[in-house]
Amino acid sequence: MSAPVEVVLSADSAGQLFNCAVFDPHSGSEFLSYRGGNTSSRSLTVLNGEYILGAQLGKNFINVWEIQRKDQLQQKIVCPGIVTCLCASPDGLYVLAGIAEAIYLWEMSTGNLLAILSRHYQDVSCIRFTDDSSHFVSGGKDNLALIWNLSSVVQLDSSRTPEPCHILSRHSLPITDIHCGLMGPQARVATASLDQTVKVWEVSSGEMLLSVLFDVGIMSVTFDPCEYFLFCGGSDGNIFQVSLCSTSLSRDKTFQTDSDGNQVFKGHRNLVTCLSVSMDGTLLLSGSNDETVRMWDVQSKQCIWSINHKGHVTNAVIIPAPANMFLADSHPAVPLPRFSRHLNPSEQGDGTGSGGMCLRLGASTQHFGLKTTDFKPLKCNRQQKRTHFACF
Amino acid sequence: MKTKKQKRQGDFQKIQLKVGKKKPKADNATNVNFRSKAIHLPEQLKHADSGPTTHRQLDIKDLLSKLHHINSNIKQGALVGLRELLSAQPTLIELHASAVLSEVAALFTDKDGSVRAAAVRLLRFIAQCISAERVAPFFPLLSAHLTCAMTHISEAIQEDALRVLDVLLEHYPGLLSQRHTVLLTNFLELISQKRKAGTGQDKSGKGGFALTISTNRSVTAQQWRLTVLLRLGSFLQAVVEERPLEEGVTSMIGLGMWAGEKGSVTSVDVSWEEHVFGKGRIQVFENSGAVPTPHSTYRLRPDSKAVAGMNKELCSAETVQGFAGTLVPLMLEIWVEAAGGDRVQTDSGHLLSAEAMALMFQILTILQLLRRLTPQRDQQDILDAWFRNSYLTDFKHHFMKNFPYGLLEVARHRKKADGKRQQQVATGTVAGGNVEPLALNVTLCQVMVTLSLRGQDHVEAEDADWLGTIRVFIRETLSNGGKLSSKHLAALLEVVWRMIVTQRSRGEAGFLYFFFFNKGLLNLKCSFSLSFRSRILARWLASLPVQLVQLCSRNPQLSAQLLETIHPAAARGNKDLLQSLQKNACSIYDPQEGSVVVLPVESQKRLVQILHFLPTFPAELLACLSQVCNTGRVSASLATMLIRTIHLRSPLSGWSSSSQDVPVKDVDYLSFFFTTLTGFSSEMLQALQDTDEDGLMPSSTLSPLSVFTTTLEQFLHHWDVVEEVCHCLDTLGSRAQCFDVIQNAIIKNLCGLVVVPDCVCAAILRCVPRLLDVNFLPSDTLLHFLSDCCLSMLSLLLQLEQSARKRDAVWEACFAAMSTVPRLLRLVLQSLHVGDLCEEELPVLAQILSLLLQHTQLRNHMMANASLLQHIIQDLTHFYGGETREQWLTDLLYCYSVTLSGHRANMGMRDIY
Repeated sequence: MSAPVEVVLSADSAGQLFNCAVFDPHSGSEFLSYRGGNTSSRSLTVLNGEYILGAQLGKNFINVWEIQRKDQLQQKIVCPGIVTCLCASPDGLYVLAGIAEAIYLWEMSTGNLLAILSRHYQDVSCIRFTDDSSHFVSGGKDNLALIWNLSSVVQLDSSRTPEPCHILSRHSLPITDIHCGLMGPQARVATASLDQTVKVWEVSSGEMLLSVLFDVGIMSVTFDPCEYFLFCGGSDGNIFQVSLCSTSLSRDKTFQTDSDGNQVFKGHRNLVTCLSVSMDGTLLLSGSNDETVRMWDVQSKQCIWSINHKGHVTNAVIIPAPANMFLADSHPAVPLPRFSRHLNPSEQGDGTGSGGMCLRLGASTQHFGLKTTDFKPLKCNRQQKRTHFACF
Repeated sequence: MKTKKQKRQGDFQKIQLKVGKKKPKADNATNVNFRSKAIHLPEQLKHADSGPTTHRQLDIKDLLSKLHHINSNIKQGALVGLRELLSAQPTLIELHASAVLSEVAALFTDKDGSVRAAAVRLLRFIAQCISAERVAPFFPLLSAHLTCAMTHISEAIQEDALRVLDVLLEHYPGLLSQRHTVLLTNFLELISQKRKAGTGQDKSGKGGFALTISTNRSVTAQQWRLTVLLRLGSFLQAVVEERPLEEGVTSMIGLGMWAGEKGSVTSVDVSWEEHVFGKGRIQVFENSGAVPTPHSTYRLRPDSKAVAGMNKELCSAETVQGFAGTLVPLMLEIWVEAAGGDRVQTDSGHLLSAEAMALMFQILTILQLLRRLTPQRDQQDILDAWFRNSYLTDFKHHFMKNFPYGLLEVARHRKKADGKRQQQVATGTVAGGNVEPLALNVTLCQVMVTLSLRGQDHVEAEDADWLGTIRVFIRETLSNGGKLSSKHLAALLEVVWRMIVTQRSRGEAGFLYFFFFNKGLLNLKCSFSLSFRSRILARWLASLPVQLVQLCSRNPQLSAQLLETIHPAAARGNKDLLQSLQKNACSIYDPQEGSVVVLPVESQKRLVQILHFLPTFPAELLACLSQVCNTGRVSASLATMLIRTIHLRSPLSGWSSSSQDVPVKDVDYLSFFFTTLTGFSSEMLQALQDTDEDGLMPSSTLSPLSVFTTTLEQFLHHWDVVEEVCHCLDTLGSRAQCFDVIQNAIIKNLCGLVVVPDCVCAAILRCVPRLLDVNFLPSDTLLHFLSDCCLSMLSLLLQLEQSARKRDAVWEACFAAMSTVPRLLRLVLQSLHVGDLCEEELPVLAQILSLLLQHTQLRNHMMANASLLQHIIQDLTHFYGGETREQWLTDLLYCYSVTLSGHRANMGMRDIY
């Protein structure tokens, strides 16, 4: 059998059989499973196609597996508090974790803690990167969602505390889920909230484009890649499909089922906690607190298969299959560094060890949509120079 | 003659100088042949006990003795030397504190200015080194010298005395505030003098003191008064702050919250009472005019030197009144003089000099402080009333005439810039010389607003004019106040709060508050994170839920604004607010008159959303909420939202897995859901058992329970609520356990009842089949009760005219219950004893049976009970004695035969294949 293009990665809160497992998106058969512990909600992420990171439920550490060595827990990263959400940047350079009210940002090439952002007033519930890793969006239980520019957060100018570029404050109850569309800084972001609305925003301007009101609180949200449809998982177990192509001009609308695209997927019996759409937009994956993961055909709204888990499904996502996943004898190109637990603005690498240096963007050199990440960290690390360059 | 000439030649003998001979020495030539040698006496310089010395080799005894020297240069040198010595050897200060302090204090009244300045410098240095406890024994001496200096005839010494006072205020406020009896008088005498007994009363009638103007001071009279008042202000501040704090002293949004409480060093022991009743000369201080008060027996300077009785506090209204009665007229005079130059100006030139402004500000500050001298609330009220009675007209006349003083800020800024320099000359080191006009105006508002009394209508009408001015000012300030500092904002808040308190009955104040929210809170929201640190805002936020409760439904707009503030604060987890919210939750969510039921829909929605952020849900709150859901005063959709909120907050829902604390206990959660499910509290059900209303249907064989019919509206509302409750319970983890709990609850609470409301029956019938697990066997008691419910509801529907929606709902519930639990159907059929029925009930029974037969889902179950059914129908035809076949009987028999034949046909078909 040839290696699949996409795989389903899911985890549940019980962790009896496995911590997380990889399934075939078409048949639902299990490929691999990673053992040890269990993973809390919205905190399972694949780093650089080489590691799987998952925050332990209710504990203050992150489990790490090398993606090809499924049985063995590779290491644990101890954090300052219980990790409520976790996200690795798509380019594999940074890892973000929500720990209570604060967001911690680590640099993967060195393991340095670059920033602690505490702009939320209550627990952070969700963090997402844009696909080019230039921005990230965080949502919290304080009803706020914040859009951050990564380059302004990592800059060395320690005199200024990083500020989010936009504050989205129109929700009236805690934010449960965030989804970032494609196209980097031009992307659109959808936020779901318990106040029974899903709102779509523009990353570049922070303006609200659309607000859809439902009958129930929304626990999860996602777009398909073309952004034809918005999928919203309700707290009653229904999944609502909202057409984004409708011609009505009003920004606020109430969800009603009709023939042109606004439909309901019925099947789950409890909160739908995670949603994900495949690359081609034909398959929809949903995980629910009724302990099942279901795959739906978007066109016909039928459930293709479902897998029973042993606990509430905390993470379920369709990802492009990492190259190393099915090669048992492969190795990660970059060894995982030790994550530092304390913020040290003066780089400790300066005086010690290999004498590496760290370059980061200065305050004046930020440009909108600038790609900061053209250098791969592996080269730097191979040479044991803890350096990564930014391309100005 | 000759001899005389010879003699003269002898006097002036010419000495011949010759070559080769040595020049004779002159008589007066100095002999330089001696040699000098220094004499060293080291033993003498080295005393056996000699301490360290200055660079001039003077030890502390020498220095102290030199302080008595007549030459002022030497005295000054000694003071400088002392400072040098003590700073080099700090231990010496402790050893010689008494000597040094007494000698230095004596120099406060020295006639030479440079000596006094040096003494003050030395005192400042010493004060930095010695703590208040250690200086306390010497403090009487210090203060005596201070008093001496303050009352000195030389004005330069008086001025320097204020410097001394500054130092003491800075370092020993607690000690100084004990001495206020003397000091307050001294302050007065610095700027005024006692009137002669004859002239004082009849001329102006303004108290026993008159302002003095001295022409030979280095500063103008105004500047001098400003410096004095500044000190008086800071002195009173010290008195107020150093008082040991008591419970309840700090009012809700008390004055000067931002001032912060310093740790009090010592308690304030004051002997005002003593002096009030002491013997001695009696001076009667009249207050400002017409009405002499009987309380003005306060004497500023008692003869009795009783310092021993320093255990009374400067806190009773009377003592303060006594002092204020003297001070306030003086201050009014100062005010008039300060404002006097401006009176002729129109508003283009209506500038207060920075100096006048500072003076006015100081006056207002002192007025505020006077009020704060009394800590107890009741005393404060007395004092307020007294101020109002005595001075309201004066204040109105003088203060409010040109109010607001901040009209021409641009011009004044310019003025201020150069005024500042002058002022620094005048005020010396004391800060606070430059005052913003805004600060002046705000303080004026604060002072004036305290004069308004609460709750008296005729008074309010009287006050309307000046309160109106203040209101306009506040409105304008807030509407263009982009850069209000947090201090001013807090002060304004306080003014508005006070106005609300005093003018609650009037809508206008409410409007102002409303306005305040609109404008002021924009600021707040912008700097939300900043202002969270401010204590006054924290307190204010904490007071919001209380206000919400008090407002009730009186002003829905205002409540909506309140909620708009509470919601984000709650969402951001402001601790003070949440605590207060938690405390008042039961009143806010009270099902009878809580805000959640009386406010309009939008506010209700917000209240329900705020519920999400409550830290915990105690049982009594859940009881309230359950009733809120069921009384029908909130819409069904809102009730649904409420139920969902509680469901989500419970750990049973599995959403908030990360939080350690448990907001809703499982027991409370389940009881909430059961109570909401039934829709009636146990008391209400109990009360129902005893009533006999006409809505009641008596029990009979066909309807074993006597059913209480609720209104259609209530029934439908409850139906929607039940739908949501069922859904929530449905999603709980273990269905079997959940059902077990519900079953127990039903058996315990409902099974014994004789009278049951129809909505309760419907709810039970609806939830049981939905929650029943396939593997779970319901108990017999429950099933019997259910069959009773079922039968009662069916017969009720057939007998009474009901709306289609209600009928459909109940039928659906009954059929669902019977098809899910086949035993239930059997029990229902078994309980139909045809023989016990009377004639009129037979048609009803027949209708029930035909309904059951017609229902497709029940058909198989009916067939399982075919023999029982056959028996009933036989009985029915047997007991019905009528000759003609009624329509209902025909229908029943038809249904029966169709059902049976269909069944047989099916069987037949099956046999065939």
